[in-house]
Amino acid sequence: MGEMLHFFANSFFAAALLSVAIGVVGSLMLINRYNYLAASIAHGSYGGVGMALYLGSSILLGATLFAVALALLLAFMTYRRHRHLDIFIGVLWAVGMSIGIIFTDLTPGYTTDLLSYLFGDILMIPNSDLWFMGAVDLLATLFLSVFYHQLLAIAYDKEFALTRSVPVALLHTCTLLLIALTIVMSIRSIGLILVIALFSIPPYIAERFAKNFWQMVLLSVPIAFFIIASGLTIAYYLDISATATIILLAALAFSITFLQGER
Amino acid sequence: MRLPAVEVRRLYFRYDKEYVLEDVTATIWDQEYIAIIGPNGGGKSTFIRLLLGLVQPTKGEILLYNKPPLQARHLVGYLPQNVNFNLEIPLLAREVILQGRLGPKKFRFDATDYKLLAQVAKELEIDTLLDKKIANLSGGERQRVLLARALITKPKLLILDEPTAAVDINAQKRIYAILKTLKMTKIVISHDINILLEGVDRVFYLNRRLFIHENIPLKLKNNGGHFCEMELFEELKRRCDG
Ligand SMILES: Nc1ncnc2c1ncn2[C@@H]1O[C@H](COP(=O)(O)OP(=O)(O)OP(=O)(O)O)[C@@H](O)[C@H]1O
Ligand SMILES: [Mg+2]
Repeated sequence: MGEMLHFFANSFFAAALLSVAIGVVGSLMLINRYNYLAASIAHGSYGGVGMALYLGSSILLGATLFAVALALLLAFMTYRRHRHLDIFIGVLWAVGMSIGIIFTDLTPGYTTDLLSYLFGDILMIPNSDLWFMGAVDLLATLFLSVFYHQLLAIAYDKEFALTRSVPVALLHTCTLLLIALTIVMSIRSIGLILVIALFSIPPYIAERFAKNFWQMVLLSVPIAFFIIASGLTIAYYLDISATATIILLAALAFSITFLQGER
Repeated sequence: MRLPAVEVRRLYFRYDKEYVLEDVTATIWDQEYIAIIGPNGGGKSTFIRLLLGLVQPTKGEILLYNKPPLQARHLVGYLPQNVNFNLEIPLLAREVILQGRLGPKKFRFDATDYKLLAQVAKELEIDTLLDKKIANLSGGERQRVLLARALITKPKLLILDEPTAAVDINAQKRIYAILKTLKMTKIVISHDINILLEGVDRVFYLNRRLFIHENIPLKLKNNGGHFCEMELFEELKRRCDG
């Protein structure tokens, strides 16, 4: 029972830390239209999970290194706005996943449940992950606070930002790196398949009510926390998958907002 | 002695195989008011993107106040052609205007910036728009906000790419009237030949090659301004070839 409570407390902690990341990084993703890029990093980072399993090293480390490498590659490719960019992004996505699958196949006596990386398990968050999440949250918040106006200028009108000598390439790369770290920190709790939906929906809802970007970020956090915490509670009592419940709740909130906007 | 603001020598540029600009040579003087006209795809936007250092010449040389474009950016105020702005960003008009005060090492706005904001808003009569979301402004209102963003940089050289696109006739007149009073070097791209009646010093006609006209505005005035764009282009071409 004590054990159970401990895990439950940890998952609420994780929910809070996730919500901050969703507020900051999810909002940055939305205004830059990076959701597809982020999904590519999320899925591609499975390559790092497979390699880490094969080499017997830390999965968090493997996924982090792999996601960071993907982010750098994508930053380089997107900055010059290649033709057929979306094809490259899709290919990277598939290549990463394939590398992951092959390495898991090659791993002798592989027992870890593949599903737990694809869908996560927010009820089983170890303390070490919470520290990692806290660190990423801090980094993201600092990044946004310092470069707030420059980041918005780039998202709104990149060419104009360039003419003001804003370091566009550097900030673009840093944003993608931050997205990579955020995705990795979320894999164990919500899994790499569902992570993008959870990062997109609260900022989308918040945007409807926000006058400026700070408001959007600050509103996204409680919206995200409310969705995750309710999902956790419902899942716990019905004994169903927490991640799936959270995503369905998020989708419900998304639909309501969407329909309200349509009227 | 007149000071050159922009010097372009034997400029060639291509994105892919075909040249978009060929052998363009021109000098624009300090305080001059230049209108750039020409057909769609004629290379007008490309020309000013070269002046801004957003793309690099394939061949040739560009100087802005005796500096290469990348080192002269702080001297330039720019209004881009209204194409790929992301309108889903919650952003107030005042925040957009203040973007003009950003710089490589400037992250925060100070009292001077806010003073300039108030000044430029008054000048362009957009005080009441400042606290509206940029996405909710009409096309004409947004163009005036973007003009304010270009002007708040306190530029020596103002470069506007179709500032009157999607702007109704009265708002157009207003923008031209404002431009007339601004004391700086001005380069304005327009498809709207009314601009030629509004105090322009010279007209650049750009269609891969550059043709410069010194006195078209006068001719237009004599005709009561009744030129349609096609006629004007024909006239310009004929004169340039002849
Ligand atoms: N990023 C790009 N990559 C490749 N080709 C381009 C690019 N931008 C413009 N072009 C091409 O260069 C030519 C000149 O384009 P530009 O935008 O300079 O024309 P413009 O005179 O500004 O036209 P408009 O009046 O329609 O604004 C066009 O043929 C266009 O297709
Ligand atoms: Mg153009």
